Amino acid sequence: MDEEQLRIFVGLVQFYFEHEGGEAAAVGSPFLGEPDALPVMDYTGVIGISGSRRGCVYVTSSRKLLQALLEFMGETDFSEANYADLAGEIANTISGNARQHFGHEFMISVPVIVHGHSTDIRMPNQVKAYVIPLHWRKFEAALVVSLE
Amino acid sequence: MLNFELGKYRKMVVAIALFLVFDLGVLVLSFAISAQIRDDAIDVNLVSRQRMLTQRITKTALQLEQRIKNNQPYRDHLLELEQATSTFDKTLQAYRSGGMVPVGDGKEIMRNALTDKNARQLLDDTLAQWESLREVLHGMLRANPISPNLAASVARQTEAANDRLLAATNNFTLRVQELAESKATSLRIVQVAGIALAVLNFLVILFHFIPNLRANDKELQRVKRETDNILRTTQEGLFLLDPDFRMGSQQSRALTSIFGSQPQPGTDFLSMMRPLVSPKTLDTAREYINLLLKHDVMEKLVSALNPLDRVEMTVNNDAVGVDTRYLQFNFSRVVEDNRVTQLLVTATDITRRVRLEKELKDSEERAQGQMSLLLKLLQADPVILKDFFKVATEALDQINHILETQAGQFENFASKVIAIHRISHRIKGDASSLGLQILEQSFHELEEVLVGMREQKNLSGEDLLPVAVRIKALYSNLDLIQNAVNRMSQIRGVVSVEPSKPPHDPEIGKQAFVTQWRNFVETLAQRQGKSVALNYQGIDVTALPQPMRGAVSSIVNQFLRNALVHGIEAGETRAAHGKSPTGSINIFISENEEGDIELSFRDDGQGIDFNAIRAAAVRVGRLSPEAAEKADMRTLAATIFDPGVSTSKITDKDAGRGAGLDAVKDMVRRMGGNIRVGTTFGQYCHFRVFLPRSKQQHHVAIPALAEAK
Repeated sequence: MDEEQLRIFVGLVQFYFEHEGGEAAAVGSPFLGEPDALPVMDYTGVIGISGSRRGCVYVTSSRKLLQALLEFMGETDFSEANYADLAGEIANTISGNARQHFGHEFMISVPVIVHGHSTDIRMPNQVKAYVIPLHWRKFEAALVVSLE
Repeated sequence: MLNFELGKYRKMVVAIALFLVFDLGVLVLSFAISAQIRDDAIDVNLVSRQRMLTQRITKTALQLEQRIKNNQPYRDHLLELEQATSTFDKTLQAYRSGGMVPVGDGKEIMRNALTDKNARQLLDDTLAQWESLREVLHGMLRANPISPNLAASVARQTEAANDRLLAATNNFTLRVQELAESKATSLRIVQVAGIALAVLNFLVILFHFIPNLRANDKELQRVKRETDNILRTTQEGLFLLDPDFRMGSQQSRALTSIFGSQPQPGTDFLSMMRPLVSPKTLDTAREYINLLLKHDVMEKLVSALNPLDRVEMTVNNDAVGVDTRYLQFNFSRVVEDNRVTQLLVTATDITRRVRLEKELKDSEERAQGQMSLLLKLLQADPVILKDFFKVATEALDQINHILETQAGQFENFASKVIAIHRISHRIKGDASSLGLQILEQSFHELEEVLVGMREQKNLSGEDLLPVAVRIKALYSNLDLIQNAVNRMSQIRGVVSVEPSKPPHDPEIGKQAFVTQWRNFVETLAQRQGKSVALNYQGIDVTALPQPMRGAVSSIVNQFLRNALVHGIEAGETRAAHGKSPTGSINIFISENEEGDIELSFRDDGQGIDFNAIRAAAVRVGRLSPEAAEKADMRTLAATIFDPGVSTSKITDKDAGRGAGLDAVKDMVRRMGGNIRVGTTFGQYCHFRVFLPRSKQQHHVAIPALAEAK
């Protein structure tokens, strides 16, 4: 994955927080994570990528971050389902915009929501993934991009 | 000339000209006929009047007889008779010999003598009848007074001549009428013939030339449709260029996509090219086009001079913003009648070809790089290589660890960049010393990014994305090379059937590390244009355990780089200072009983230039100008180990970033050792490094230098 593509994903996440959460998420120092030791928080929206390059991109968020985001949106329903829906919405927005940016370059799947530290996230196992820590109003999330 | 210009229209023009001539002829004829008919009508009227005059003469003669007999006034009648007689006579005479004829109101007109033989015969008959009567009448007109008897006699004679004279006059009149009618008929026949010819000519034009023209038009339309189809579908931009460099109106549609918009017919081609090429290229293009247009040189011979065979242009593209394209313009002469009238210009978008060529070149370079890497790997000592991979992987892990350590809102990205730079520079040096240019280049590129960041204020995490991308690339490059080395070692294992021999030369100077250092010195000396000899004495570094072995190797690499770039002077400078043109570097490494390592590195270069160090320390903000002025040599010597301090004026692969000695200091600190520096400006520089085997944290001391002057 080249730098431009990585920047597009980071830009899409920042755009989401800026428009839905009132302020952009601050980007922490990006690093490389081993496939078996990637950060997975409470709720994770995973987008599968196929085509010329395969892999996945996910946004993982802490429950506290999602709660703050729901509050900002004026929601009062803090059920598990609503958290999962919000995590799905974040991933869905990124997925939709990514389709517009990349066109036929990548085939981008509909997001899958993973709850908790599940092993359901199948990452390319030979490749180090980019981990981009995100901070939004003291709360943590991370964007993880892994392509073969 | 006219024939040339009329071309295929010549026959048609002749036909139309004939049509006009016929029409004009008919018109002139009509004028002539109408003039002739009017003239003939006058003759007919005049000769008809003669008949009337015979009757008037007779009537007036009888009236005179009566009036004279009755003694009544007769003057008016006498005058009337005289006038009638005179008019009748003059008219006859005029037609006989030509002359004036009275026409009323005292006016007269000229009549020519008749030429028709019959008419003249009848005229003569009339004259014969008239002349005797005229004499009788003249006798009475001359008498005064007129006696009743004379009047009666004249009346009887007039009465008697009247019938004969009337008959003769009548015959003459009829003949004149007949002549007039005959002439009018002939003229009308000629007129009708003229009109018929004109109509015939018109029909020829209508039925012969117009269908031909229509067929030609159809053919032209077909040809135009074909041309339009070609111009619409060809992938190349086609247009004609006239001798004034103006573009023609027939242009292929591809020109729009090539230029971004369709050029207007008549646009000055060179003005359009002005923003795309340099003024010099534009001048050359003008000369080249003139050469093709105005000089008798072979087109193929000068085609190599075409300055527009590869033009780089930037066009605004809505989809991808600014787009760089490459165009090729070819010029072919359009020759008419052995004369070059225009140039056919073919503009081709060769972007794809240029990019493919570039990709091919890059790929060749990559292949060459890989080949050279393989050769280096084959030549390198497996132990040193293995050590390098281990050290390099650890360094990348260390960099990734620095990146991974998050401090939330209090993140100090700048210090991360400095730390990463230090590690990267160290490994770059090691890669360079082993001749692993691909890795050296990758680390160099990472350094370029880091140097840019060091100058940037308010760094954010996003700014570090390129660092993460490059680290990942370095991991995979290392991985690839390691795999290659592993495969090669398998091959080596297969082919080395003979037991390995003891070193051919027992000299310690031949050991693998020393060879590597010598190669490195040779490469650096070549790059820097210097001549340097390396002497080594001491233990076999290969035998040292890790991480000591890696540390020693890295430190010596950095010292070598430092000595070659900053220390040892060029041959001429050395000679001018009374030194040998070849610089020398002496390395001595010893191990004490506890296993601690003492490394001595001495070069006979120009030593440390403290003034240059002062300037560099001020430049990077390490010391204020005042502090630099006051700083003692110990402080200044310590500064050369600070990050970002370099006295090199240029930045290249070898030096100029001020990260080399900083990396040494960092490594020695982590090993718990110390560094001493000794120098005499203009004579030498000496580093002594102590590395304890048991890791014990020592302060990195840069002691005062007794020798420093």
